[in-house]
Amino acid sequence: MSAVDVTPQEQTASSASGVMQLGGRAQQSHSPWMDAWRRLRRNRAALVGFVIIILNILAAIFAPQVAPHNYTDQNYLALNSAPSWIVDIFPKMKPLEEQPGGYVNVNDDYILGTDNLGRDLLSRIIYGARISLSVAFIGPFFSLLVGTIFGMVSGYVGGQVDNLMMRIVDIMYAFPTLLLVILLMAFFRASFNEGDQGTLAYKMNQLDAAFGGMFFIFIGIGLTSWMDTARLARAQVLSIREKEYIEAAVSIGSRNSTIIFRHILPNILGPIVVAESLAIPRYISFEAFLSFIGLGVNPPRPSWGAMISDGSNALISYPNQAIFPALALFFIMFAFNFMGDGLRDALDPHANKRV
Amino acid sequence: MHSRFKSVLVVCALIVAVLGSSIGLTSAQDIKVLHTAYLPGDVILDPSLATWNNEIQIINQTYPGLTTFDENTVEIQPGLATDWSVSDDGLTYTFNLMHDVPWVTYDASAGEVVQIMDESGAPRVVTAQDVVYGVTRTFDPATGSQYAGVLAPWIVGGEAALAGEATELGVAAVDDYTLTFTSPKAASFLPMIYGMWMSRPEPQWAIEEYGDAWTEAGSYPSYGAFALKEWEHDVQVTLVKNPFWPATETLPEPKLDEVVFTYLEEPAMLAAYEAGELDWIPTIPLSDLPRLQAQYPDDLHIGPDTCTYYYGFNTEIAPTDNVHMRRALSMAIDRATIVQITAGGQIPAGFFTRPDVAAGPSQEDYPDLAIHSDVDGAKAELQAYLDETGQTLEDIPSITLMHNTSSAHATIAQAVQQMWKDTLGIDVQISAQDAQTYNETLRRDAPNVWRLGWCYDYPDANSFINDVYRTKGPDSNNHTGWGTDEFYALLDEAGVTEDVAARTELYAQAEYMLVNESAAIAPIYYYTSQQMTKPSVERSYAVNRIERLDKWDIAQ
Amino acid sequence: MGQYAVRRFLYLLMVLLVVSAITFFIMHQIPGGPFSTEKKLNPTVLQNLNQKYHLDDPLPTQYADYMVDIFIPRVTSQEKVFSVTDDYLVNINLPLVDDAALRWINFGPSYKSPTLSVNDIVRDHLPVSAQLGVLALLVAMIIGIPLGILAALRKNTTVDYISMGTAILGVSVPVIVLGPTLKYIFAVELGWVPTSGWGDFDQMILPAFALGFAQSALLARLTRASLLQVLNEDYIRTAYAKGLRQRRVVIVHAMKNAMIPVMTIIGPLFAALITGTFVTERVFGIPGLGSYFVTSITNRDYSVIMGTTLIFAFFIVVANFLVDLTYAWLDPRIRLS
Repeated sequence: MSAVDVTPQEQTASSASGVMQLGGRAQQSHSPWMDAWRRLRRNRAALVGFVIIILNILAAIFAPQVAPHNYTDQNYLALNSAPSWIVDIFPKMKPLEEQPGGYVNVNDDYILGTDNLGRDLLSRIIYGARISLSVAFIGPFFSLLVGTIFGMVSGYVGGQVDNLMMRIVDIMYAFPTLLLVILLMAFFRASFNEGDQGTLAYKMNQLDAAFGGMFFIFIGIGLTSWMDTARLARAQVLSIREKEYIEAAVSIGSRNSTIIFRHILPNILGPIVVAESLAIPRYISFEAFLSFIGLGVNPPRPSWGAMISDGSNALISYPNQAIFPALALFFIMFAFNFMGDGLRDALDPHANKRV
Repeated sequence: MHSRFKSVLVVCALIVAVLGSSIGLTSAQDIKVLHTAYLPGDVILDPSLATWNNEIQIINQTYPGLTTFDENTVEIQPGLATDWSVSDDGLTYTFNLMHDVPWVTYDASAGEVVQIMDESGAPRVVTAQDVVYGVTRTFDPATGSQYAGVLAPWIVGGEAALAGEATELGVAAVDDYTLTFTSPKAASFLPMIYGMWMSRPEPQWAIEEYGDAWTEAGSYPSYGAFALKEWEHDVQVTLVKNPFWPATETLPEPKLDEVVFTYLEEPAMLAAYEAGELDWIPTIPLSDLPRLQAQYPDDLHIGPDTCTYYYGFNTEIAPTDNVHMRRALSMAIDRATIVQITAGGQIPAGFFTRPDVAAGPSQEDYPDLAIHSDVDGAKAELQAYLDETGQTLEDIPSITLMHNTSSAHATIAQAVQQMWKDTLGIDVQISAQDAQTYNETLRRDAPNVWRLGWCYDYPDANSFINDVYRTKGPDSNNHTGWGTDEFYALLDEAGVTEDVAARTELYAQAEYMLVNESAAIAPIYYYTSQQMTKPSVERSYAVNRIERLDKWDIAQ
Repeated sequence: MGQYAVRRFLYLLMVLLVVSAITFFIMHQIPGGPFSTEKKLNPTVLQNLNQKYHLDDPLPTQYADYMVDIFIPRVTSQEKVFSVTDDYLVNINLPLVDDAALRWINFGPSYKSPTLSVNDIVRDHLPVSAQLGVLALLVAMIIGIPLGILAALRKNTTVDYISMGTAILGVSVPVIVLGPTLKYIFAVELGWVPTSGWGDFDQMILPAFALGFAQSALLARLTRASLLQVLNEDYIRTAYAKGLRQRRVVIVHAMKNAMIPVMTIIGPLFAALITGTFVTERVFGIPGLGSYFVTSITNRDYSVIMGTTLIFAFFIVVANFLVDLTYAWLDPRIRLS
């Protein structure tokens, strides 16, 4: 297989991420970015998504000011409590006063109720945004870093190297993600525990502790998600490799690294970034899944995923404990999704021609 | 499709049976079937290989032991052995077995339990030689029995046999119905150990004929009150009444015709129960307990369990190498609040050993020896630590509290974390590992504080404090690094003492050293069982959690 | 085509070999082992167990033995007593030769269930997962693709937002919440279907819906994106210019091409679904293979880890192969090279 072939799989890997193949250069007289921004503003859903994300970021940053309670405060008199408005909504939840059959500790001090340690759910959701948003930004960061470089090198160098590198991607695809993550997490958590002070292992472990157990989650997510980006980056490189400006750069004797980072990277980054923004909901739900199988963040730090999985233990008795974090997850996924779609449409030079 | 197909078959078979027999003694309605669920995880029905409750529950019904327990008092009583005697040196036990107990199996084509015949056409019966074969097989290294290690110290030649040496095991058949066990050292609880699942009669002919598949339905021989009817791995096990079982006073004829075990997660179990698909569930999700207590007060039963929940300390790393620090941490755990959070009627623990086992000391009888939650005491101990080490609160090295992954453990860890912060001003780091990694971590590199639970194998204090803390080091269950000769001497003496009151006293003294004086561990609570049973089921609640299904009934 | 098939087969073997090697060596790096329990085993017993399953051999030897057992067919006598260490997926009695059988693919015994071989587990549980996977994929397609088409045709309208919102609801309400909720309403309260189990059609409805709904978002988003792209292509505009009605344009021209990227994702999704889904299986008590992907790892049941991983890799590679074939059929410009 020669390097310039775009095999069906690779071609579709790029479109599978829902991204157009963009030409690199601006064709309009005014800045393409201004154009894009104008189009983005006109897209109401994208704008709403954008606003939700900004609000979430603000809430996460100013959580100590916004949250009505401290997220670690345990109130043993209000274990599994729910306010009256929630008790009214869910017919199964009967307040303790109504006997026989009542069991819910009604407490209106907590707007969304408390968990099984008497901690305020709303405050924990607000603080939980920190984890989910970190995942939403750092997951793509790892994926972009590894995937883009891998894909660009593969596509640019071509030949047997390209062939080999793409087979590596195929193999990573054939690996069950779940297995890989569990193996990696168990491996990291175990092998980095015994590090002596001063070693890399020790430092990484300190870093993980500083992140509240999130660091290894980021690595796990990054390691299992770069393949899409790599395929996309490679396909993009192949599509522009033969363009005149690249040939020009080659002919004047530019170094390969200069060509890759100065000439190719800026021209393929747009579609890749958009594809990543569309992948963000996947990262968030992935963190939720890790929490579900018990490989999530260190307590008492809350994450939406961990709250949902803890809450699901008592789904019938105390539905509020799982449903509100799930709603928070829904809104942020909704927001990232529409913003991603909006970005894609905005960056698509053909988007104006037809609706 | 399978189960539908099967149920169609069963229905057809029943119709044929009813039509075929002109008298029509049995109809479908008369069959008493108990539907229950156990946690997932494929079971092992080979007595030599079984390890956990799900398996023992079935094996005790199909392969009752030489000795059994009264389910209410866990007092030892006759099983397959009608009586036994002990030699004057306390080393040799002679068991007299029941006569004419036939080996049976379920014949699917005939749809009934049948006796197994030998080459000469005579029914095979359970003999002392079968027990000798079973025990020998348990010790065969090729069998790979995990519980052989529990029996090995109590049978002559046990350790050597495990190591693959050709040796004479201390088990022998005097005649077809008389059996002797010889132990290298005396102990009052030996009849309990000889009654455990790894020393049961086993069918040599079937194991040789069917190989690894001998425990599958269709080839599985058994002799107890129930036989194995169907087994869909990790999905369902069906037991059927064995009509050939010669009932005794302690092992009566079963009233149930069939018992169906389905393997489900706790929430799925509860949903199935609430939907009326199950008659009994042996566990419930604790978070649903308040609702179930309110809505099904008659169905719910909270009773004892076999385990203790505790935190251990690594006494070899700072700052938990200091006894004052350990005592401070242990006393600062508000056990009453913990059991309020876990909400299952658990009992705050002052000792490691549960009080409801033979020779188990209780907090009420030995209030001064048990450890108690005590805020002022904890603060005083912390001050003693600071004075002794010359540290201030800020200097205390960081403490890690570790548990194996589970939301219940995480909840308790967070509560304890908060208590230590509030009472002592100490911030601890919580970290979780998956169970297997965790086990290895404890063995090689235990953190300051860790969580474990211990369940007894046989209801005696020895199965708690001695089996866990009589040794230390990576090859033991003791990850504290703590252990003194004085402590060991107490345990050894208690092991060979006959008088229960004297043994209890000795164990209480040993417990004091473990949980109070040295505070190598902090017992937190004694587990309880929470079960739901439909009112139509007439049952007992076994204290050792191995239910006596042979005594249960369903009201029509 | 023949050459192409041979190459794909060699490629499959290569992927399986590399995946198995990586899995094998990583899993042995993780602390613990199949016989590491909370209650410490007698050291002699542990040694015996390791010996019994050859876990005390050097790792490269273990790996080589394992690969030989899986990939190299062997000829043995036809009669044999069942043994978990000697159980083959393929057993063919050889004609012409007396008492000889060809046996192939032995994944070894499960260490956690010593009376079962990995092949037993696969034979029992893979069909169940496959049934669930096919049903869930159908549900996902029935929900996801129409929602995507609707959203694309009414781009940036309320219809678009509602369609995509529904799809996103599917991904963001995890099965762990959706499953028990559906179960409580339809099985416990209304009693229309059983709460758990597998086999009858009424037991399949809830899990298939819960699992399929979660996957529908992906398909909906993809359908929307790729349809929008196709609708911008020149040939579609030509079709419009010729005065064809919208519905016909969409169905006849656009959908066929828009389905190409959707197909590429359905392939791996299908492979992932039929090899089992842990959460759904646990919530609904379904005896599928998905649970084994997780429990084998938590139990360090090495042979089951290897078996499930290789089966997954096999299905992924085969699914990708089928996708390529479909792709060539959908777009004749693409040749299988």
